[in-house]
Amino acid sequence: MATRPIAARVRAYNVGFGDCLLLTFRYGSSHDRNVLFDFGSTKMPLQGGPPSMLAVAEQIAKDCKGKIDVLVVSHRHADHVSGFAGKPGEVIATLNPSLVLQPWTEDPELATTADEPAALARAAVPDEHAGKKGFAAELDVMHDIAEQVLRAAATAPQNHGMKPVLEQLAFLGETNIKNHDAVVALQEMGEDHQYASFGTELGLDRLLPGVRVDVLGPPTVKQAPEIRSYATNDENYWSKALRGLSTSALAATSATPSRGKPKPIFPDASMTTVADGPQEARWLIPQVERMQAEEMLALVRDLDKVMNNTSLILTFQVEKDILLFPGDAQLENWSYALRDAPGAAAISARLATTRLYKVGHHGSLNATPKVLLWERFTRKRANPKQAGRLISVMSTAPDKHGHVDDSTEVPRRTLLAELDHSSNLVDTETLGLGDGDEPGTFWRDTAWITF
Amino acid sequence: MAGKKLLEVTVLAQDPHVDIDGYTASAKVDLTWESMGRGPVGHRVHVIDYDATTSTLYGPTDLEASIDRPFAAADLADPAFHARNVFALVMHTLGRFEAALGRRVDWAFRAQQLKVVPHAFGVANAFYSRETESILFGYFSRDASTPGKAKASRVFTCLSHDVVVHETTHALLDGLRPGFMAPSSPDQAAFHEGFADLVALLSTFTLGDVVGRLLDLNRAPLPGEVRRPPSGPLIRSSDVTAANLKNSVLLAVADRFVAPLGGAAPGALRRSVLIDWRSANLDDPENDEPHARAEILVAAVMNAFVEVWSTRLEGLGSRTLEELPRERVAEEGVEIARQLLNMVIRAIDYTPPIHLTFSDFLTAVLTADIEVRPDDSRYGLRAALKTWCGRYGIRPVRGAGGCWSKPKQTELVLDGTNFTELRHDPAEMFRLIWNNRDDLNLNASAYTHVSSIRPCVRVGPEDGQIVHETVTECLQYVSIRAADLPSMGLRAPRGVDPELIVALQGGSTLILDEYGRLKYEISNRLPRPGAAEGTKEQVRVARMQQRLDYLARTGYLDRPHAATMRIADLHRRRWTAVGIRPDDRQEAW
Repeated sequence: MATRPIAARVRAYNVGFGDCLLLTFRYGSSHDRNVLFDFGSTKMPLQGGPPSMLAVAEQIAKDCKGKIDVLVVSHRHADHVSGFAGKPGEVIATLNPSLVLQPWTEDPELATTADEPAALARAAVPDEHAGKKGFAAELDVMHDIAEQVLRAAATAPQNHGMKPVLEQLAFLGETNIKNHDAVVALQEMGEDHQYASFGTELGLDRLLPGVRVDVLGPPTVKQAPEIRSYATNDENYWSKALRGLSTSALAATSATPSRGKPKPIFPDASMTTVADGPQEARWLIPQVERMQAEEMLALVRDLDKVMNNTSLILTFQVEKDILLFPGDAQLENWSYALRDAPGAAAISARLATTRLYKVGHHGSLNATPKVLLWERFTRKRANPKQAGRLISVMSTAPDKHGHVDDSTEVPRRTLLAELDHSSNLVDTETLGLGDGDEPGTFWRDTAWITF
Repeated sequence: MAGKKLLEVTVLAQDPHVDIDGYTASAKVDLTWESMGRGPVGHRVHVIDYDATTSTLYGPTDLEASIDRPFAAADLADPAFHARNVFALVMHTLGRFEAALGRRVDWAFRAQQLKVVPHAFGVANAFYSRETESILFGYFSRDASTPGKAKASRVFTCLSHDVVVHETTHALLDGLRPGFMAPSSPDQAAFHEGFADLVALLSTFTLGDVVGRLLDLNRAPLPGEVRRPPSGPLIRSSDVTAANLKNSVLLAVADRFVAPLGGAAPGALRRSVLIDWRSANLDDPENDEPHARAEILVAAVMNAFVEVWSTRLEGLGSRTLEELPRERVAEEGVEIARQLLNMVIRAIDYTPPIHLTFSDFLTAVLTADIEVRPDDSRYGLRAALKTWCGRYGIRPVRGAGGCWSKPKQTELVLDGTNFTELRHDPAEMFRLIWNNRDDLNLNASAYTHVSSIRPCVRVGPEDGQIVHETVTECLQYVSIRAADLPSMGLRAPRGVDPELIVALQGGSTLILDEYGRLKYEISNRLPRPGAAEGTKEQVRVARMQQRLDYLARTGYLDRPHAATMRIADLHRRRWTAVGIRPDDRQEAW
């Protein structure tokens, strides 16, 4: 086999709101090495999509000719891992990845026993391992919060004013609950596992000869406390936030798991009905309900961001060409690599020559740092025919995440316009919109990059 | 109750969830009599006890049950007491504002009654919301795993004196200065929080004999420590040094999200007074975050308070005597706090209606105070404020004694103006402003609006001198394409679409004396370009440019619909630090 690839290409499968990309390195005329990034969705596409995730898995098996060399699971969100459970996951498992690569937060060694989180929190000066365990424990708490939020969204009054908030709550709740089956499946598949953080030496020369692979994120808690976003103020924020969702809510829903509201917190107090209550209450009550939903939405958005910041940021470099895959990393994750880490300036300079950029977090407003990253890309060109133009790949679906009213829609229209203007954009969103795709095709390919 | 001028209502004076050796501080507050209904509901506040988490509407209660009645431990678990407690504290705070300002205070919304919801939801937050015309108090579970705590119980934010007063202050400040909720600068973003904390801290001192009882409790207990209960007519001088006063529970805003949730170390309460001025730098971008910046303002003012109080205690012999009369120590603190509370509240009338900076606020404090209390020799409060604010990088504008300068032209053209109408009719006030627009340096082509007129009567605290004033706020707006900003002497911030319509806002607070003469013109009005270098207009242009750059940097320039600050978000960010640093907003799309 050649000692370095002669070309590379990315195939982005249209999984709706989710990620599933196959990076193929071509070594000679018929020898490929394949890297699969993620396999999940929280909403399958309405058009131009596969009939099921199983169909995607079968296509992946065909495309990689039965073998995945590296399986990258960028982080634990459902839209990146849901496909690893069930039948689709079984198909992926048959591809026997030589290496399953995940962020350090997914290391099963970090799993805590029931009393460990509190003990970790009380430790005066936690060592790095304890710090990692503590953070991993908080991630588990975040899953519990997401479950609570999902239940609350299901039992909230479904009046007109609440609909957009409840839809967001349900979406984010679903994205952030624990995908236990997927987690187990990932632990059991593949020949080897690595759990990486900024600077981890992966040693992939054997699997991907001639490709330099660098891990730029996520940082560990010790490297970048702000990855937790709350560390400056409170070590146990998420545990407290879970309690903040009221034990009465927990008690009631554990007794009646899928229906009904929690019991009143003052069961012996005098109560009345809205009909018998003051007139002002009739106006105020829906407002309070909406405020509650918005509070929960704010909480789960913050939680979603922390989870996103556990994403692997990887670069694959062949000669001078860099292919950049940041998962759903947000600014705090990026900041470490591009501002605060030792050698950040050199990293920033390297990334300027990025040849292919997998657009972060489905094109959201906070995952492609404008000044730190995008404006420094030197291969942006207005002329689509110009050789060596930046390639960008985006896997997304509209109307699932964020809202145009507060400029948080995903994909963010200002970013989309810029991607379209300055790069060769490959966007799964446009599949099935009648622009020449072959019937039955539910993927988009970038052009081959020759090295 | 009719016939009673004042109602003496029992309230909680400190957060009951902060463990002070099992002691729950309660107090009695005087409320002016009004005809009340079950809620309680009065002419300004309506308590509606709806819990969205459990969809429960609790029955209304009468305030009477808390009148002339001592606090009982069982009240902590009684939602009716919670409702009465929160009603009384909101009304008491409103009363403080009206007494200081010498007039009634409106809410920022059209309804006359602020709705207060004591158990709004099972979420760890509490906030004022202009949109819903209400203050919403959340509740959450106490940490069941903390040693010593037998079982899980709930924390009700509506029972925290500091939280209730803090939120009420947001509502009152919003009524006085709605423009302070708009994004403008790091100072304005922080001011609401800082001011609300100041009022909460100083208000504790207005609660009867609570100060004397809490003076001994100058720090949270160490684990396992049993402290001597507050008692006796004397207090150790060493307990009331400046350092120990700063560590007193009296000078900490109870952090409802940290302290009650177990495992909180002493000092987990929000204790801005301990921020070292040597390391608190307002120019540090880290301190652009509203809550960090707010705490610097609080630190400056509360350090001035502590210094003045300590100085008075030296006069009682704190340096030479081992013990001091507890009541005298408390009296000094109470009196100084009351003065200072009045000063900071009155200052709001002397701030510009929009684009506030800390410097403006300090200048307003000094100016408003000198108008009613020319002689500062007793406490030296103005001098202490200038000194301590200066240490934290807050300096007044350049005027005599740090006060606003008197206008050059005090005699306005009053022709055609009806003076009686002038004190309450916006149209009449606009006539006056229009007829004097050149002297008032207003932009004649901007949309101009008289947003409020407030006649007030202030009484000097020491000499009983009565000061009559009419305070009016006038706002101006100009909408302009970014490409046309140079016509106003401004430039479009980097990266802004030239076709973006930018809304420029300015405003002036005019203070008239009882004869209609202009006492002060406190202005962040729209600049008038074309002025010579180094003139005041050039300074205005520079400040407006700074605001534009800030709005562009923070992403607000092209998102006017997201402009109004949400107190809920601010409070959540305050204790989580989840969120983007202001300068990081430039990284967002």
